[in-house]
Amino acid sequence: MATISSGITAPASARSAWLDRWLTRARLAPVVTGLVILAIWQIGVSATLPDFVARPSGILLAIPSTIASEEFWLDVLLTLGSILEGVVIGSAAGIVIGVAMGRVREINWVLTPYIRALYALPLIALVPIVILWVGYQPAARLVIVVISVFLPVAVSTADGTRAIPKDYLDVGKMFGARTHNVWFGIALPAALPFIVAGVELGLARGITNAIAVEVLASVQGMGMSVFTKSNELNENASLVYVLCLAVFAVGVRSLMIRARHWLAPWYHR
Amino acid sequence: MLSRTSNETTERARGGESLAARVAHFRAANAWWIQIACYTLSVLLLIGTWQALGNSFGVLFVPFTTTMRRLWELLDSGPLLPALWVSGELYLIILAFNVVLGVVIGLLLARVALVSAAFEPYIYILYATPTISLVPFVSVLLGFEFWPRVLVGVLISIFPVLIGVAEGARSIPRQHLDVAAIFGSNERQLWRDVIIPYVLPYAMSGIKQSIALSMAGTLVAEFFLNPDGIAAVLLQGTTIVDSGWVLAVTIFIAALAVTLVGVGELVERYVIRWRQSAVG
Repeated sequence: MATISSGITAPASARSAWLDRWLTRARLAPVVTGLVILAIWQIGVSATLPDFVARPSGILLAIPSTIASEEFWLDVLLTLGSILEGVVIGSAAGIVIGVAMGRVREINWVLTPYIRALYALPLIALVPIVILWVGYQPAARLVIVVISVFLPVAVSTADGTRAIPKDYLDVGKMFGARTHNVWFGIALPAALPFIVAGVELGLARGITNAIAVEVLASVQGMGMSVFTKSNELNENASLVYVLCLAVFAVGVRSLMIRARHWLAPWYHR
Repeated sequence: MLSRTSNETTERARGGESLAARVAHFRAANAWWIQIACYTLSVLLLIGTWQALGNSFGVLFVPFTTTMRRLWELLDSGPLLPALWVSGELYLIILAFNVVLGVVIGLLLARVALVSAAFEPYIYILYATPTISLVPFVSVLLGFEFWPRVLVGVLISIFPVLIGVAEGARSIPRQHLDVAAIFGSNERQLWRDVIIPYVLPYAMSGIKQSIALSMAGTLVAEFFLNPDGIAAVLLQGTTIVDSGWVLAVTIFIAALAVTLVGVGELVERYVIRWRQSAVG
């Protein structure tokens, strides 16, 4: 507690303030922590745990052989392809349903109970019933990704199109806007930042759920390989996959932030 | 045309001559009834479609009535209630860790520059990484027992609290702290009067999300580290290809999830009201 509040009430002691500033300004702190974490990991694992347990040097050595394998690229293609396909279908459906829910109260009332229930439900609970219906097939992964993306997109599009400033609608009415003009000419563009935020959330959930389906339904892909490689006591290769998934997830997230700035430059958060 | 002119007095007064305007007026005047009708229609539609589809699909999609009967069997004498206790214990412990660790780490991140600079990028990377992919490493290092499950669950559901608290504590206006300093607040007063009331709504919003998300954490932990609890019951239904069983458990989980989300909203509202009465 003392350390937390010392930063708030009074300037910390001169030496530590200097250290703080230097470390922060130089952006060195994350690098130092990263190196320390890696060092502890490397030394700790080498000293105490069996050979197959992943360690930084092992992962580094495993990268070339993993990336060179055909299997790796097939996995990447299958998983990422399925996620992208699901995102396209899920967002398209989510936008249409979302605009309808946002603009027509009655549609909103009819659909809200289901959307709310599905939104609350951890989607991993849907995996068994989807497997039962679709089979232990890649289609099960696609279905789950579509639902994962559809829900947040529909909810946030509905929120966004419902909350249009009244001025926009008045101006539209003055210029004789018809219903479809209001929906797609006013409501949809006004809701763009919301839609992007929904897609962003959906993508994050879609990636996680795609991996979950792969493991539960034994569908080939990156998530499945993380588990099989680990079970074959090849943890280093398995972590290369995790690393790629993390890079993909972080990359997609920063891409979405950029997309928001590009699509809705007026909207700042 | 005739009917429009017959009750023209009221319609004229509103200037609502067109059909669209009259529909709009009707919708506005009967909003409450229409809302009730919509909810009823929506429930009836689901049950009706389900019943009809179930009767025509056979084994893979049993009708609504069969599913409800199966749910009753599972609750009455089946494995569902014992599994609920197992999952409930795991859930509560995961949630407790989320709240305590999330608040502490969040405050550290926000108020200690060095901690924030050193760890923030890694916390965000961990947040973005699909946690499920870390499960095999947890199971190899720590096994399949209770605490590894808690770890997996916490990794999945701690972030709303952690990030919410960090954002809240970071956005405390400088002036509030300065005023507290000018009036000579000591540590305890500073926390009681400024920091905690300010961060509380942010923390509560995170906790509300975590109440729902901890359920996902619990399920993932149960699915992937030797199936146990409700997840095991769900998988059991898949194994014996009993769609009534799986549907019943899925609906049970959905009902639980909706309840938990409701509880989260109630808790948030209660705490916010307490804060308003306590701090003003």
